[in-house]
Amino acid sequence: MMRSYDVVIIGAGSVGTILSYWLAKKGLEVAVIEKNASVGRGEHRAAIGGVRATHSDPAKIKIGLRSLEFLRELEREFGFDVDYVEGGYLFPAYQESIASKLKSLLAVQQKIGLEIDWIGPDQVAALVPGIREEGLLGGTYSPRDGHLSPLKLASAFYQMALSAGVEFYFRTRVTGFVLEGGRVAEIKTDGPSLSPGLVINAAGSNAREIGLLLGTDLPVVPDAHEAGVTEPVERFFYPMVVDIEPTADSENYYFYQDPEGSVLFCITPKPKRLGATKASTSEFLPMVVPRLLRLCPRLRYLRVRRVWRGMYPGTPDDRPIVGFDRNVQGVFHAVGMCGQGLMLGPGLGQLVADRLVGELAPEDEDVFELLSPYRDFTAKELLR
Amino acid sequence: MMIARLTEHPILNVRKGELVEFSFDGKKMQGQAGEMLSTALIANGVKVFSRHRSGDAPQGIFCANGQCAQCTVIVNGLPVKSCITPLEKGMVVETLNHLPKLPHAAPDLPAHPPRELTCDVLVVGAGPSGIRASVELGQLGFSVIVVDDKAEPGGKLVLQTHKFFGSVEDCFAGTRGHVIGQILGEEMRQTPGVKVIPNSTVAALYSDGKAAVFEENRRYTHVSFRGLIAATGARERSLVFPGNDLPGVYGAGAFQTLVNRDLVKAAGRVLVVGCGNVGLIAAYHALQAGITVVGLVDIAPEVTGYKVHGDKIRRMGVPIYLRHTVLCVEGDGMVERATIAPVDSDGRPLLEEAKTFAVDTVLIAVGLASVDEYFADAQEFGFPVVKTGDADEIAEASSAMLGGRIAGRKMARLLGKDTPVPEEWREKMEILKSRPGRVMEREKPILSRETFRPVFHCMQEIPCDPCTTVCQFDSIKLKGETGTIMDLPEFDGKCIACGLCAAICPGLAITLARLSPNPGMAEVVLPHEFSTAYEAGSQIPICDLDGNVLGQGTVLKQRYFRKYGTHLITVEVPEEWAHLAAGIRVQPEGDVQPLSEAEFQYFPEDGIVCRCERVTVKEILDFARENPIHDLNQLKAIRVSMGACGGKTCNVLVPRILGQAGVDPSSLAPATRRPVTVEIPMWAIGNQEQDGEA
Repeated sequence: MMRSYDVVIIGAGSVGTILSYWLAKKGLEVAVIEKNASVGRGEHRAAIGGVRATHSDPAKIKIGLRSLEFLRELEREFGFDVDYVEGGYLFPAYQESIASKLKSLLAVQQKIGLEIDWIGPDQVAALVPGIREEGLLGGTYSPRDGHLSPLKLASAFYQMALSAGVEFYFRTRVTGFVLEGGRVAEIKTDGPSLSPGLVINAAGSNAREIGLLLGTDLPVVPDAHEAGVTEPVERFFYPMVVDIEPTADSENYYFYQDPEGSVLFCITPKPKRLGATKASTSEFLPMVVPRLLRLCPRLRYLRVRRVWRGMYPGTPDDRPIVGFDRNVQGVFHAVGMCGQGLMLGPGLGQLVADRLVGELAPEDEDVFELLSPYRDFTAKELLR
Repeated sequence: MMIARLTEHPILNVRKGELVEFSFDGKKMQGQAGEMLSTALIANGVKVFSRHRSGDAPQGIFCANGQCAQCTVIVNGLPVKSCITPLEKGMVVETLNHLPKLPHAAPDLPAHPPRELTCDVLVVGAGPSGIRASVELGQLGFSVIVVDDKAEPGGKLVLQTHKFFGSVEDCFAGTRGHVIGQILGEEMRQTPGVKVIPNSTVAALYSDGKAAVFEENRRYTHVSFRGLIAATGARERSLVFPGNDLPGVYGAGAFQTLVNRDLVKAAGRVLVVGCGNVGLIAAYHALQAGITVVGLVDIAPEVTGYKVHGDKIRRMGVPIYLRHTVLCVEGDGMVERATIAPVDSDGRPLLEEAKTFAVDTVLIAVGLASVDEYFADAQEFGFPVVKTGDADEIAEASSAMLGGRIAGRKMARLLGKDTPVPEEWREKMEILKSRPGRVMEREKPILSRETFRPVFHCMQEIPCDPCTTVCQFDSIKLKGETGTIMDLPEFDGKCIACGLCAAICPGLAITLARLSPNPGMAEVVLPHEFSTAYEAGSQIPICDLDGNVLGQGTVLKQRYFRKYGTHLITVEVPEEWAHLAAGIRVQPEGDVQPLSEAEFQYFPEDGIVCRCERVTVKEILDFARENPIHDLNQLKAIRVSMGACGGKTCNVLVPRILGQAGVDPSSLAPATRRPVTVEIPMWAIGNQEQDGEA
């Protein structure tokens, strides 16, 4: 007999796993279908570990703040140490245009409750000993952003979900949906079929394919980002440093040092590298390393250990797509995290769960308006 | 201070390099310029290179191959793997304590801008298979770049001081491995179109058709290629037991690197774990370097390597403990004791029968695992790729030589040049790869008083034929059912006691014998590979095939065959030993005795599984009890495989450990495949802006 669940989530990644926990905690019977063999083996594992509420979009700031609050409590409330460190985020500026762009966002950010301010060059240099001081104008610093181990977080989410009663179907691929009366009667997979009360699409890089199986074309297009990790050295800085000054062949890049001592780094190539291949390319290190060394010459003594590639499930306005499907009843999308599933997932999971059981606080309703799948996608996130 | 350099060796020439001064933790030391820093340190008695941030645990040499990071030290302010860093005059070397500090400035970094190279075929690894593949491709007109991480080509042949098995025609059987390495290296150098980049490691393969190469520790290079040959060899498997992380526990291959390539006396007394060919040969190499071998241990019921190797070791006076396991290794910051115990029919150790040996080194020789990551990468990326040698299948170097030629031809075909692979090559390679076959009883040879004749102590089918090729009267032929070089040699014809068959035999398994003019006595000629000079008339202990001492024999004369690096020692023994006498005991029995009482504490869950991050059996079992495990990657949450070596050592060990927690190892998704781990400094990658300064 086909198993029935109140909710079936497609994707055990940054969003789906923690969402399954919150829904199960609300008394629902929840299953998660995942094509990989364990939790967080899609794009989650490729994240370097930064978590911030420092965005330009109000919805994302709100979700980010929720995530940070959750992460701060994770060890005390749930007993999981995920190497979360409140190291802050630092956006340095060497050009007036960058400085004014960063400063222009402060009002909105602070209004929503983000702790962030402009700091002078001396403070920037004190936060990142060895950063180039010549021409440094200062930067924005948000001390309550931070970083964590994505692998430990996935493991924690998995244990939390299991203990809340969530059932996982690993190595299982969704192959189709049987619709009856405008609702999903059955989820077909290459394993067992499931009967869902509600279907949640949290399929990350595969969100569009899942949508298409339902007849909904979600504008989620993955683009590739490469990352690297160095050997560990004694901790010498704490913030995630994000340089948003573009060059001819790349947009921003960012790096931080994890509690093990390794420096992790990533860059956004220009133009976007669309497609879903996860194989590393030769262009990454020659693109990112000179920029890192120009910003912080001291990094030259670090040795790179490994590189890898992951996908940013992007949307036209760099904002997630969150909300009910209008074509098929009982289908909810939580997709298009644009490479920020790790930092948005914990907060978004709570908000979506609240929303689905009708417990959403009135002040959070705007989040779902701003992230609606049916918005016009014209506004741009400035700090992607 | 103890200087642990070999001053003489029965097989190898002891090189005397230019001595230079350097300092280690403020102490002045001397080493040979250009030798690996780890070797210089070991020669100066240093056993601990770093202290791990987890538990301040001392870290000794482990892979000696640039793959782990245990030998990392600080040189002139920056961390380096000392086993791949050549010693330079005036180096300021320090123990790495926990994590290195990132300096603000460091002196004189090389300024070699990155470069781009192009070739038809990139061959990764210049061992026997890589060399032969590149020669084949070069001869067929392809441009070839061979990248190898060592200074000299030959791969692990460089470490092999013993005479090789196999066939004389196809793989230089009867010649010593390190000499074969030189011959092959020369072959490669002479081949047009083949460019060798030594001392350099392929650090990554990229999906856009390039390989990242870290050249000579100073230059970041991209090599573009049409096809790839993965001749990347193998890595040593490790073993989990309490104390497996103590300095002094390491691989037999690493040991051979230190003793045979670098000629340092890396140990005083060793226990070898594993009695396959690698363990047996390592034990023999230890003896030749003047190191005591207290025994070999293996859980198997019989010697798994060639019988002739095992017999040889026993004759030298090394006990082989079969159906035994290593329980634990103990000591204060380094190996001082190793305890072994027999196992019951379920493989459980019988603690009450444990034996403890005083040793300073435990060599792990429990098998090899193919280094095939680049092959897998290339397949995934859709590049023409062929793997060969140990990267393809763990086997003898003899078969790798043919395998390399075949790989070269296959690659040529993949690149559009139709070159058939002779069927004969394939057949021969299969034979050379053969596991040891049947063991046959031999008839007692009939001896005469007039002439010597060979007596064969080789009784197991193995691929080997040198003895048949050196007899000027063609009196030795292989006879048997296989019709191949697996058959055993038989004597039929004339013998003038020239001794060549005894001198060339890789197994030291041929003696010559005749009845002596003295009634009741016989003369036996024994092969010997130690540099002892025996005086005529002296009494020496003579052993039978299994290592039992028959009694004393009287030395009549000693001959040395320079070409084979082998002594032939003629002894007079009682007639009834004539066909039994097989060798001369080297180690006194008293040297290999265990302590009078076993002395150990056994906490099996203390064994280290992930060496880089120091994750124990217990931590893995605890994690598995709290989490359903279906993917090896889940263990990254407790840092398994997250360290320097990228899971190369632990990922093969973890499934069995998880089995103890009730996880079905076959159900586990594999861990992420990672490249061979060699770090590349950012300065090398970012050097492009320094073109002008270079």
